[in-house]
Amino acid sequence: MLVGTVVGTLWSTQKDKSLTGLRFLVIEPFTVRDGPRPTGEAIVAVDPIGAGIGERVLVVYGRAARHAIGRGHDIGFQCAVAGIIDRMELAGGRTVGTHVEFDES
Amino acid sequence: MFLGVVVGQLWATRQVDDLRGKRLLVVEPCDDPRAPAESAVKPVVVVDTIGAKEGEHVLVAFGKAARVAAGGDGDFAFEAAIVGIVDDVHAPDMPLSWRPGHARDRGASSSATADGANPSAANRDVTTKEGGH
Repeated sequence: MLVGTVVGTLWSTQKDKSLTGLRFLVIEPFTVRDGPRPTGEAIVAVDPIGAGIGERVLVVYGRAARHAIGRGHDIGFQCAVAGIIDRMELAGGRTVGTHVEFDES
Repeated sequence: MFLGVVVGQLWATRQVDDLRGKRLLVVEPCDDPRAPAESAVKPVVVVDTIGAKEGEHVLVAFGKAARVAAGGDGDFAFEAAIVGIVDDVHAPDMPLSWRPGHARDRGASSSATADGANPSAANRDVTTKEGGH
């Protein structure tokens, strides 16, 4: 599992049939060493939960992701949102909140 | 499987049902090859069934190994779990930060280093995240 911030939504019309009706999010992983800091990468994950832009989410891969999506394991995708982070407590008393807007700095 | 340090804990209310009741820890892989790692190290969120604490060095397994370690071989919506707390590591030329009990500059609490235990894994298969190095 990795942690990331939802930075966008993605639509695709021509796609594998097993993906019909799924919601795709663009997610940017962040590091925690000096507060949440975006990595500049973008990953696409199916969202079975309903996360919004700016929210911090948990992303799972592989079989875990297909299980989270809930359409069986013959599905053409391997990345999914498994949870929306309420709060992270880190070493040194630092915290990461649920949404980028609530960040202190 | 990789070697990492527990740097925090997280909670989520809106989540896939499988994650309910699971203790989620934030682990940073020990992938700083030489100097103290910069913030390019991406943290991994893992399920903890052992009771690791902040600052402890842990072994993290991925995939089915993780799901088995976290109880049963069933389908769960996670793919990373702590399978061991590292007592000690011996590897030639390893950075200081790989060593359990090494005080990180972030002030993480250090764990005592027990002698005699055999942390398997040469820890050479530490996942190399792209970027930063």
